[in-house]
Amino acid sequence: MPRQTLDREIHHLQDEVLLLGSMVEQSMLNAIDTFKRRDLPAARRVYQYDEQINDKRFAIENKVLILFATQQPIAHDLRLLAAILEVITELERMGDYAKGIAKVILLIGKDDIPIPYREICHMGDMAVSMLHRALSAFIDEDVAMARRIPKEDDIVDDLFNQIYRKNVAGMIANPDTIESANYIMWVVHNIERMADRVTNICERTIFIATGELLEINPSDSEWDEDEDD
Amino acid sequence: MTVSKPQALTLKPPISNSSDSPTAMAVSINEVTEQENLASLPVKMAAVDLSVYYGTFRALKNISMNIPENKITALIGPSGCGKSTLLRSFNRMNDLVHGSRIEGKVILNGRNIYEEDVDVVDIRQRVGMVFQRPNPFPMSIFDNVAYGPRLYGIRNKKVLEKIVERSLHQAAVWEDVKDKLEQSGLELSGGQQQRLCIARALAVDPAVILMDEPASALDPIATLRIEELMENLKSDYTIVIVTHNMQQAARVSDFTAFLMIDEDRSGTLVEMAATEQIFTNPASQQTEDYVTGRFG
Repeated sequence: MPRQTLDREIHHLQDEVLLLGSMVEQSMLNAIDTFKRRDLPAARRVYQYDEQINDKRFAIENKVLILFATQQPIAHDLRLLAAILEVITELERMGDYAKGIAKVILLIGKDDIPIPYREICHMGDMAVSMLHRALSAFIDEDVAMARRIPKEDDIVDDLFNQIYRKNVAGMIANPDTIESANYIMWVVHNIERMADRVTNICERTIFIATGELLEINPSDSEWDEDEDD
Repeated sequence: MTVSKPQALTLKPPISNSSDSPTAMAVSINEVTEQENLASLPVKMAAVDLSVYYGTFRALKNISMNIPENKITALIGPSGCGKSTLLRSFNRMNDLVHGSRIEGKVILNGRNIYEEDVDVVDIRQRVGMVFQRPNPFPMSIFDNVAYGPRLYGIRNKKVLEKIVERSLHQAAVWEDVKDKLEQSGLELSGGQQQRLCIARALAVDPAVILMDEPASALDPIATLRIEELMENLKSDYTIVIVTHNMQQAARVSDFTAFLMIDEDRSGTLVEMAATEQIFTNPASQQTEDYVTGRFG
């Protein structure tokens, strides 16, 4: 193995991606927990923590660019490093979703509004678990797992729909709740988008292993044009 | 009421962006970059089941490959894999090596160049060669370029002048030497000497140019000039280059052939494909190990 430097740097970068991933997971879990407890100082900390996530993303990006410039990665190495650039962008956006939830908490403060905590926590746990396993699959280049995980997005979408329907029903029954229902939709939308972005990470895992650029949309059939007709 | 995607919401989240949900599709890297299909291109030269022996040693084993017309084909592989031997067999330079013989065929314009009645001088006119070290003859720049045409019987001074100017232009060295054509070619810089040698090869109007590590003795700027020159030449010529510099192969060539040494120490062709494919997603693990620098 004459490319010890490149291999060492790539392993280090993979560790850094996992670290960034765990920062994002923690941030999302903290955001949801903070939401549940309406802990405003904690929400402020989640909001501010996003800056560290952004810094970590840029540090990884910088290292990848240096490797491009100095090591001329080829074939599998090239795909892996290009995929890392994509994945850290996804992770950074997920960090923004956690920050967005923290912002909602700061907006609603201690107002007494009905919140479907159980469903939101379930959604958040699902999305974080999907991310965690997607990053493992990414590092292990486990194509089978990368193909399986996006299917779980349907469960997150179902939870989203449940909360949506409950909210709409609540708004119809009591128009005073429109504003609070709106806030709740921001929160669940952010969690739903996080799960969507996990799919993008899985696509990159398949790309590294096979060279195939693939768009996975497990439940998009209902939006197909023929079915709309 | 059923809504299952955030796109359908009238509520606009202020914090996050929804991305589009394009329809499912799969694209390989090579489709994205519109990789050229080797099989669909006109073939200028071909090796057909070619083996080359030096005495009892079999340097190349059963090589079959097509050299596409007006393209740059790079031959890469570890030292001793036979890539220079293969290159030299394309214009019968191996004939000059005592004890060498070949099996199989090398086809140029549909004819085996190793057939008995083939004129070797004619082959070397049609298939020119540029070597690793610039090797101008110890004569003037003009005479260096006019050497080949004179050998083929051109005596008319005006015709020779035209050929010399055209060849030096094509080799991108005219501006450097136009005012000193009577000076010795050996007085030029290394990069200029190599472009002079390319001009000398072009002067006899070849169809194919073989280049054996043409830039390995040159500095980086002179190397890039040679690479740009190759790119400009390929509209008129078919080029085959042997290089140890994989980044050079990646930069200049349209197709790349990877050769390896097998268990008998003979050179074999592992894979030939569009250069983009070889350097992003090669089919063979051996190629992958070589181009990523983990073998060889």
